[in-house]
Amino acid sequence: MSLAKWTVGLMAGMSMLAFAAQANAGEVRVTVAEYSAKTGPYFESVKKEFEAANPGITVKFEVVPWEVLLQKLTTDITAGTNADLSIIGTRWLIDFVQQDVAEPLDTYIKPDFKDRFIDTFLSPSIMDGKTYGLPIAASARALYYNKELFDKAGIANPPATWTELQEDARKIKALGTGTFGFGLQGKEIETDVYYYYAMWSQGTEILNKDGTSGLGTPGALEAAKLYKSMIDEGLTEPGVTSNNREDVQNLFKQGKVGMMITAPFLSNQIKDEAPNLKYGVAAIPAGPTGARGTYGVTDSIIMFKNSKNKDEAWKLLDFLFTTEQRAKFTQGEGFLPVNKEEAKMDYYVNNADLAAFTALLPDARFAPIIPGWEEVAQITSDAMQKIYLGSAEPEAALKDAAAKANAVLKK
Amino acid sequence: MQNRFLPYLLTLPSLFLAAVVIFWPVWDLIQISTHEVSRFGQLREFNDFANFAALAADPDFMAALWRTGQWTVLVVGGALLLSIPVAMILNTDFYGRGVARVIIMLPWAVSLTMTAVVWRWALSGESGMLNSALIGLGLIDHNIQWLASAETAFPMQVMIGILVTVPFTTTIFLGGLSSIPDDLYEAAALEGATPLQQFREITFPLLKPFINIAIVLNTIYVFNSFPIIWVMTQGGPANSTDILVTHLYKLAFRIGKLGEASAVSLVMFAILLVFTMIYVRLAMREQRA
Repeated sequence: MSLAKWTVGLMAGMSMLAFAAQANAGEVRVTVAEYSAKTGPYFESVKKEFEAANPGITVKFEVVPWEVLLQKLTTDITAGTNADLSIIGTRWLIDFVQQDVAEPLDTYIKPDFKDRFIDTFLSPSIMDGKTYGLPIAASARALYYNKELFDKAGIANPPATWTELQEDARKIKALGTGTFGFGLQGKEIETDVYYYYAMWSQGTEILNKDGTSGLGTPGALEAAKLYKSMIDEGLTEPGVTSNNREDVQNLFKQGKVGMMITAPFLSNQIKDEAPNLKYGVAAIPAGPTGARGTYGVTDSIIMFKNSKNKDEAWKLLDFLFTTEQRAKFTQGEGFLPVNKEEAKMDYYVNNADLAAFTALLPDARFAPIIPGWEEVAQITSDAMQKIYLGSAEPEAALKDAAAKANAVLKK
Repeated sequence: MQNRFLPYLLTLPSLFLAAVVIFWPVWDLIQISTHEVSRFGQLREFNDFANFAALAADPDFMAALWRTGQWTVLVVGGALLLSIPVAMILNTDFYGRGVARVIIMLPWAVSLTMTAVVWRWALSGESGMLNSALIGLGLIDHNIQWLASAETAFPMQVMIGILVTVPFTTTIFLGGLSSIPDDLYEAAALEGATPLQQFREITFPLLKPFINIAIVLNTIYVFNSFPIIWVMTQGGPANSTDILVTHLYKLAFRIGKLGEASAVSLVMFAILLVFTMIYVRLAMREQRA
């Protein structure tokens, strides 16, 4: 019950374990995030294949739910009991580099290894000219729309602009069958990102050129007003602040929502859970000037500086980033290919859904590489929730959030 | 001489264990909270209680502190008010009492996190069971978005908090009730005391020590309780259902301010310590009088 005590107890226990747990020679411990039910079995098979091909090296994967990954890493690193390799959100990487716990991989990376990667996805893991991580998972966001609802409402094409999206949402609402035009996420992880889609289309960036928060700009206000007006007009699902990404995705799968913005893995889920749903994937709508932006995300696998088995760990990395392994992992999880050879495979070339995502990559923004990014994201999410709920006026909420974000950014 | 030291000697092992499990982490927390601390817990220089000052200046912390008070009083009070009659009913002899007792105890057997997850689904606006039930009964005509705002989410969380606290509290009271001799009631009934008088003059006074225990233990549990609020709203929307422990979790593991989080933890520890000491003092003085 008592989390506080539990946490310190855990830290204490871990640090005691630190004396006891001596890394075995030739053992590589890897902390991996559980992306779906397929993650565990995939790494099980990696263990088998890799150990068979590399006698003398044993691999131990620790599969951790995504929500507690950062917490586990924090306690492990504090206690000095971290694994040799770990998957992390690339947006956390700067903290790991600044605290000097991540090992630069440049001594291991040969040109032909580097050449395996698509630059867009490798570059977020490079800091000060050094490569600290390899993109193990990559994703972007695009607009999903329900073709059946579009047909019923007499809409021919997915919306190209936010104005069209509003029009389409009105038509879907007018069907009056308990369906909602636009699924708006207002809870938990990526609540801020959902707002950025509208903000980017106004030509506003998360950070202004001078490094201050973009939340105080007129473009940010326009975007917030757009979402708020859609909520007030009933063009979104009701109770926006009670729906996280999965909740909105579920509404989409149930055919209750006409449009939503999310990641490619929704296609995999629809295939499994709602195979009869007719849907399409399109670009994220553009703003009045034609600006548009999608959110690009990579997760990196990093090597810890205190690892005792770096050479063995590198062998495993080399193995994980072969085309065959990459294809198995990426296709199972519904991510985007990070490997050039892999991207040429039929699976990706002939997949209309994925094509829509890859077409958006030139417009992709990655989370800015700044310390304290998570706090800025939290500030933004909180401000959005206040606006969506109507407990604060958009202008006041954004001004307040911009001031808070700037205070964090100044540090 | 030997006899005077023997008790101390005998308690030494458990004292040592307590020191490792309790005092050492608290000492660690004091260290972290009074120093500049890195993202991964490495201590830097002493920082003049800047972490505590930051808390005092943080409106979210103050709001969470106030809400933790409301949360604790409402859940502990509610569970108490509900548990006394429940325990009294379960203490009487009736057909199917065994089954009734099991039903009351069941929520205790389910993990708190699971309970919270199930309620989160039940309270879902568009596909939740509660809304379909209420619409089916004709009590409401459109879906209520229970978790969308604190006005509906927090009362629901308090209600669930009460629900999961009742089994433990009832158990304590059942133990208390069974220790009251039946002759007292028989004698009172003979003298013409009404059931209400019996409750006020016999049951309640004799149950008091058990009520005190229930208050102290429940306050400690509920004050620190994390899963219900975290699973259902994560303290949101916009921190409007945060209590101290969810606020602490976000500070430590989302934002990475381990120093401020440790300070929150110490504040919580101090509040509980002071509460327990005052309460135990009061309760014991009352008993002696």
